[in-house]
Order: sequence, then structure tokens, then C-alpha cells
Amino acid sequence: MPALTTNAVGSYPKPDYLAQARTQFSQGKIDRAELDKLERRATEYWIRSQERIGLDVLVHGEMERGDMVAYFAGEPGGNPIGGTKLGGLVRSYGNRYYHKPIIVDKLTWPGPMTVEMWRYAQGLTDRPVKGMLTGAYTMVEWSFDEHYQSRRDAVLDMARVIRREVEELVKAGARYIQIDEPAIHTRPAEDFDLAVEAMHVTVDGIDAEFHTHICYGEVEKIYPGMLRLPVKQIHLAFNNTDWAYFKLLEENPFDSGKDLGVGVTDVHTRLIEPPDEVKDGIKRALKLLPPERLWIYPDCGLKTRTPDEAEAKLQVMVDAVRDIKRDLELE
Amino acid sequence: MQTTVTGNYPKIPNRPRPARLRQAINRRDRGEITSEELGRIEDEVTIEVIAEQIDAGLDIISDGQVRWDDDQTYIVRALGGVEIGGLQRYLDTNTYYRQPEITGAVSWREPILVRDYKFAAENSSKPVKAIITGPYTLAALSLDKHHGSLDKLAMALAEELRNEVEALAAAGAPIIQVNDPVIVFHKDDIDLFCKALSRMVEGIQAETALYTWFGSVDGILSRLLDLPIDTLGLDFVWGRDNWEAIRSARFDKKLGAGIVDARNTRIESLEYIEESIRRISEFVPPDRLYVNPSCGLEYLPRETAFEKLKQMVEGVRRAEPVAA
Repeated sequence: MPALTTNAVGSYPKPDYLAQARTQFSQGKIDRAELDKLERRATEYWIRSQERIGLDVLVHGEMERGDMVAYFAGEPGGNPIGGTKLGGLVRSYGNRYYHKPIIVDKLTWPGPMTVEMWRYAQGLTDRPVKGMLTGAYTMVEWSFDEHYQSRRDAVLDMARVIRREVEELVKAGARYIQIDEPAIHTRPAEDFDLAVEAMHVTVDGIDAEFHTHICYGEVEKIYPGMLRLPVKQIHLAFNNTDWAYFKLLEENPFDSGKDLGVGVTDVHTRLIEPPDEVKDGIKRALKLLPPERLWIYPDCGLKTRTPDEAEAKLQVMVDAVRDIKRDLELE
Repeated sequence: MQTTVTGNYPKIPNRPRPARLRQAINRRDRGEITSEELGRIEDEVTIEVIAEQIDAGLDIISDGQVRWDDDQTYIVRALGGVEIGGLQRYLDTNTYYRQPEITGAVSWREPILVRDYKFAAENSSKPVKAIITGPYTLAALSLDKHHGSLDKLAMALAEELRNEVEALAAAGAPIIQVNDPVIVFHKDDIDLFCKALSRMVEGIQAETALYTWFGSVDGILSRLLDLPIDTLGLDFVWGRDNWEAIRSARFDKKLGAGIVDARNTRIESLEYIEESIRRISEFVPPDRLYVNPSCGLEYLPRETAFEKLKQMVEGVRRAEPVAA
């Protein structure tokens, strides 16, 4: 990959027709084939959009997923992991509720869950499309568990399930696989070793390049410990935290030979970042690591933005990288 | 031995029952109904969750904290000197609260919970306890731009919220419970914690309780037992070390025993509940024992919360001859 490889993180906003179709599908008003057609139409839109904007590595956009955990645990339209089901509504904050999954039995791989959509997306483009999965620790942490005697048993069984999916994606031809672990810093003192062990179970010995995305939270509590994660790249949300993570990296070098994914645009604000803000972030990263070890991203998935906002944010990012590469004569 | 809740009750039921409060808040946000109309729905839902708690067999109930967005903002937004900021993760959960931003001297202006308490008491055949969040937790989860230190902010909150506790006592609340869980994550602050809590509740003419959750009070239990409170609530599910801690303490207060997991849908067996009560009874006699969930019930779907309470009550009934 080129120096300062550009990417999106995972999810894109769903177009209105797809949001409506998903509601109709869950009410039994349209069938899977009809929903599938619309998911593919929206996926193609985002593949073309990413090519147009000029990203180097693409994501398929997760048009078929509502929530990154629930999709694998009984969300309408998904192929749920054996032993999971969707529970009742639980409040997240304010007036926001979600169906929290429940582990009710031993976890088993139900056959491919993400391969078909990945294959479709990759078939649309010559640029690499990442395989996108949610990590075992986050899957379990964000579910109820009525089956296992310990969190450890549940997380390691979940890791075995995710590993099977990884194997299928690799078999289908995926070269880059991102395993999201936004919950990994929930109980660092108690659980971080377990999260690392689960990642080993998920990826060890499999021939692909693994990335992980770690989201908002107390990242300082798992740094530099996170360098033990057996992945080639770790991606963090730098912009949203006012670039505070750079301080962590200055104190303890990111020296494990891993690549660093730098989130340079905040996905939780409508505001489109001024180009200089994004460039400054990238330049600060360049003081810490050489360009070939830096990948440039938004902070997180863009699904909560409008399509226009998502594209504008990515365009600022891609333009900033192009300018910096020209200035540094990296091309 | 009496059964009770620890905090909130889930606000909306699942299908086929309608999510009335959720819809009403959406309609208020779109300007289709007024805040007064929303207030009436909140009252109706409060009556509903009171009935469910009584139906589950509880001896002492709460108003369900139906009107509360989270444990912090419902209290502090009514104080002077506070603005409400962005979303923050609540401790080690996957739920979020809006962070209070302290921009001036915090000041109590008028009763915050008295009307809610009176409304609940009028609509309940069982005693209602009033629940308020504690000064240490409020201070620790806020962004202070004015008072200058955690100490000063916590003491100012204690001073101001004492007015609220007095108002609740004057309104006739038989039990006033202070939920102040964050201390279990920052035990180094125990001096400040005790000073602030004492300031808020000492000498109040009502039964007072302090509840903690998500961790153990191992190492600070003796300090908590010295506080001027009647009841100490402990989480025996997410704070496993509390089992050991009570063994070595002279537990001369009432204990609020959180033995039912309010963060997982698995329904505890009656044997587990019975055995837990038997173990606790070795250190705290049944006439000083409340049995309750490990924390507020909003981490569970409404129907599961109800099932858990019913099972807890049944377990307590079975344990009564054992414990006595």
C-alpha cells in the first residue's frame, strides 16, 4: 500500500429507501430477496463513492447491518451466531433504545455471515475491500449471557466463531480484515489479557493482514498494553479526543512494528473539518511514525452522518493526504 | 427482611405493550405535544411502574425514576451553576449520560424531587423511598469549570443538596436513599466521600441509606459503617469481594443486599437466592436486611426486570424460615 493509505472505517449512512426497506422487512412486508437487492444497490453506491473520492482501501459500508453486535446475534436479515438471540429493548441514553443480544446456548458458527456481501463489494472494484467483523470481546461485553459460567468461557468460544468467519473471508480472497473492538477498554485491569488472548484465537496462523479499530473510551488505560494485540494495525479516534492520544504515543513510542491508523475527522459532528486541521493532525502523526506506517481514516464509522456530510469529510481527508504527499515528495 | 429496588425501573415495555413514554418524548421533541402533556404521560408511566413493583411483591418501592434521563442530570440540571454537556460512557457500562458542566457556584433553588415523591406516595399502597444521587458521584462525573477541585465541588454539592434531603424529610419520605456508587472506583477519595455524605445527611429526620454498585467496598467498609446513615447497600454480584468484606466487619447497620444481577438477563435460581441470604444472615440478622437487585434495573428489558423481582421476592420468602 502507498504511504499514508486512505480508508473509511466501516459503516456508511443508509439511504432513506434502504432504511424504509429494513423496517418493511422486519414487519414482513417485503422478502429477503427484495431487501438484498436494495442493500446491493446501496453498497454499489458507496463503492463508487469511495473510488470517486479517491480512497485507497475500501469498505463495503455495512448496508446490511443495523448494529455491529446485533447483526451477528439475531438482527432481522442477518445470519445469527448459533446460541445467540436478540433480547428486549434496553435504554442506551436519553430516549435511545436498542435490542441487546442474549447468549442463550453454546456459541457456534452458523455458516458464512459476511462473505457474500464482501464478495459482492469486492466484485465491483479493483481496489481492495476490507473484511469487517466485530471482535469477540466486544460481542460478549455488549450482550447478556445466560449460558456461560464465566466471561472468559464466553469470550473464547466467541473468538472461535469469529475465527471461522475470518477463515471464510480469507478463503473468499479478502487480504485485509478489520476486527473492531470498541469495548476492549471496558475493564482493562481485569480483562485486557483476555481480550488479547481472544484476538490470538481469532487470527493466529491465518494469512491475512489484520487491523483493529478501538473506539472512544479510556484508551490511556490500555496503552502501551494494546501493542500486545496480534494485529498489523491499530486504529484510534484522534480528532474527537483533541489529538490527546499523540501525547500517549510521545510518552511511550508506538514501536511494535505495527502500523497506526489515525482518525482525523470527527464522525459525531456535522461540521466539515477545515483542511488545515486535518493536515495538522497528519503532520503530528508524521513526527512519530514514518509515512509508510501510517494509515489515514475518519475517527469511526460514518453511519450517523448524512451521505453528503460523510462524503465531504472523506474528501477533505483525501485532499489533505494528497497535499501532504506532494509537499513531502512522497509520490 | 424486606425486599426493595436499588434505583430505576425500565421506562418502556416490549411489544405487544406500547412504548408510550418513548413515543411521547419523540412527539414532544417534534413539537407535537407540550412538555405538560409529556409530564402527564410520565405520571401515568410512574403509576404503571409502581403497580409492577407492587405486583412483583416488593415491600418498599421507588417511583422508578421514570423522569430521569440518567442518575446525574435529573438532579444537577435543577441547580444553579450547572450546564449539561456531551455524552459520556457511564462507568463500565454501554450506556451513556450527559456530562454536567459546572460553570458557576452550584446552588439549590427549589425542591427537585419532592413533587415526584409525593406523587408516587399518593399512588402506592406500599411505602415509597426517595432516591437521590450522592455528592461524590455527582462531582466525580461532572466537568468542573468553577469550583477548582473535586473536594470543593463535592462539598458544595453536599451543602446544597442537604436542602433537598431536608425537603424530602419534611414531605414525609420515610426512607431517603443516596446512591453514590463511584467511590468503589476511587477508594483513595474515601475521606472526601465521608465528609461530603455526612454533610448531606447527618441529623436528617428520616431513615437514610447509602447505596453503592459495580464494585466492592473492600478496604473502605469500616469507614462506611462509621457514616451517619442507617443502611448500607452493597453489590454482591459485580463486587464479589463484598462477600469477604462483610465477614471481617462489625456490620451494625442495616444492609441492602444486592444479590440479584441487574445487568444480566439470566434469572437467578431460588436456591442461589436462598443460599445468598443464608450466608449474609450469618453477619447481618434478617431484621436488619433489605434484599434488592445489584443496581438499577434499567440495564434490563422491562419484562426481565419484572421476572427478576418476582424471583427475588420468592427466594426471600423461601429463605425467611432459614434466616430467622
